[in-house]
Amino acid sequence: MNRTLRKLFSNASSLVGIVLLFVFIIIAILAPVIAPPLSEDPYQIPRMSWDVNPQPPGFSMSDNIRDIYDYMGKDLKWDISICGTAEGGYDIFYGLIWGTRTAFRIGLITVAIAAFIGVFIGSISAYFGGWIDEILMRITDIFLSFPFLVAAMVLTTILGRGLDKVMIALITFGWMGYARLIRGSILSAKEETYVMAAKALGVKDIKIIWKHLLPNTIFPVMVQATMNIGSMVITAAALSFLGVGAPVGYADWGQMVSFARNWIIGSPGNAGQYWFTVFYPGIFIVLFVLAWNLIGDTLRDILDPRLRGEL
Amino acid sequence: MIKDNKKLLLEVKNLKTYFFTEDGIVKAVDGVDFEVYKGETLGVVGESACGKSVTAFSIMRLLDYPGKTVSGEVIFKGENLLKKTEDEMRRIRGKEIAMIFQEPMTALNPVLTVGFQISEALMMHFKISKKEALKKSIELLKKVEIPIPEQRVNEYPHQLSGGMRQRAMIAMAMSCDPTLLIADEPTTALDVTIQAQILDLMKSLLREFNGSLIMITHDLGVIAEIADSIAVMYAGKIVEYADKRTIFYTPLHPYTFGLLTSIPRLDVEMKRLNVIPGIVPNPLHFPTGCKFNPRCRFATNKCREEEPPLIKVEEGHLVRCWNIDKVVKEVKKGLLVGV
Repeated sequence: MNRTLRKLFSNASSLVGIVLLFVFIIIAILAPVIAPPLSEDPYQIPRMSWDVNPQPPGFSMSDNIRDIYDYMGKDLKWDISICGTAEGGYDIFYGLIWGTRTAFRIGLITVAIAAFIGVFIGSISAYFGGWIDEILMRITDIFLSFPFLVAAMVLTTILGRGLDKVMIALITFGWMGYARLIRGSILSAKEETYVMAAKALGVKDIKIIWKHLLPNTIFPVMVQATMNIGSMVITAAALSFLGVGAPVGYADWGQMVSFARNWIIGSPGNAGQYWFTVFYPGIFIVLFVLAWNLIGDTLRDILDPRLRGEL
Repeated sequence: MIKDNKKLLLEVKNLKTYFFTEDGIVKAVDGVDFEVYKGETLGVVGESACGKSVTAFSIMRLLDYPGKTVSGEVIFKGENLLKKTEDEMRRIRGKEIAMIFQEPMTALNPVLTVGFQISEALMMHFKISKKEALKKSIELLKKVEIPIPEQRVNEYPHQLSGGMRQRAMIAMAMSCDPTLLIADEPTTALDVTIQAQILDLMKSLLREFNGSLIMITHDLGVIAEIADSIAVMYAGKIVEYADKRTIFYTPLHPYTFGLLTSIPRLDVEMKRLNVIPGIVPNPLHFPTGCKFNPRCRFATNKCREEEPPLIKVEEGHLVRCWNIDKVVKEVKKGLLVGV
């Protein structure tokens, strides 16, 4: 494990990934300091104006909204839109900062649960074999036959809006890869003599899977999971972009891109007029996904058994 | 057998284990009977693929699909193991009957420490704490003569040499004081000097625990060293069964005789090594009659048509052959090594 960490830090591309990830972690942790919430719900992006048109960076809060805060007797901790506002006056900077937390939440939770389900089903299926394997793998096949994005979209539509619904949809259609992966590894690992030796000592099946087989087979799953964190965030963003994801005004990068949908082409004669509406959330998504992919790539190179000896 | 005064520990009766493959039924073990007495060692000898290991796995009930024990009885301490539930069987494995495997390189899990693998069985069968189990593991490693056991207990298998891994395997198998130990070619993967050490170790441990041993091997030297009685297997059946002296001095089956004469000798001038011609028959297409007949130089028409039963030639000496008298003549010529 130490060797793995050393390699991660000595490889240039993974170092970039680690630095990026580190920055995102800092942003997520310090979100209340970087962008103090103006209302009770910190994940609700504050509006800087009622105007439909996006406002450029440096825009300061419109008077009629100031009046509301005054009326409610609230202190304005800040009133300048550093990155401008999106459609409807939503503050982009605030959305980016708190959206980082959302991205981590979506990525880590969905991948962790999906990987757990996949590993559970895959290892049971491979270890016991026979009709258990047959049934579990056919169920996996059924889930695999749905196109991921469309299936997730339909399920979110059925469940209703909200981040938790998005995550449920992503988990429901995101565990099959892990199941297939771990099943393959365990099918070959369970033929090893040490499994027979453990059985001959009377070790329980569950313990054999957990203590003997999984430590030998879990690495490909870990690589896959790392790479998947990025794509889960992308899919969640896509769902939000299509309008079935997070509720309106929720700090979520995908939703912020969707706010930009009508403004991407700018105005006649000035194509770049509303560049900030799509650029900032876009670059955050790209960098976040890139960070995970770089780390995942290097992890794969390090943990690939065929390359292990040579590295 | 003759040792009626001794206590019977394991009795295998008419054990049949078949593999149901796509190409047909492979009769890996086809009607095997033998007994193991308390404190004694039974040697099971035979070529590769004659059913030795499958016999062992059948006793432990460790075979998975497509292998299945179709009939027979395995009576251990008066109870039929084949009738036990999977849970009862799990409690017997490791605690009552333990097994040592052929390849110490692969029989230890590479990602777990030696100490963990030994204490795992201890913790489960005796319900003791991790700390106690680890302490006992160190004692066991000391018993199997591994130097600096306090340090070795925390090491991973790849940090140990082949001989040491086999010692660790023995420690694992011995951890719960089993009454019966099944050793499946425990010395095959080791070089000769280490083999001798391991055999000595096993002998002294067996004496200490007063346990019984089933030693599965193709190495007659190992058998001569350790066994009390010997079962010679060929193509899934026992072809000769007797005590060690009888097998080595007066074998009556042509196969046993062939095995013994193919041991190279230093005291007799020999231009070529004696071999048994031919190979083990394909288990999907066994020859009719005696399964050894295509390779047997004594074979007659009767051998090709009718399979001989296990004939009792004297008390405690069973042979599966129609031509015992012919073999006797050959044996009298004095080609055998002797013990």
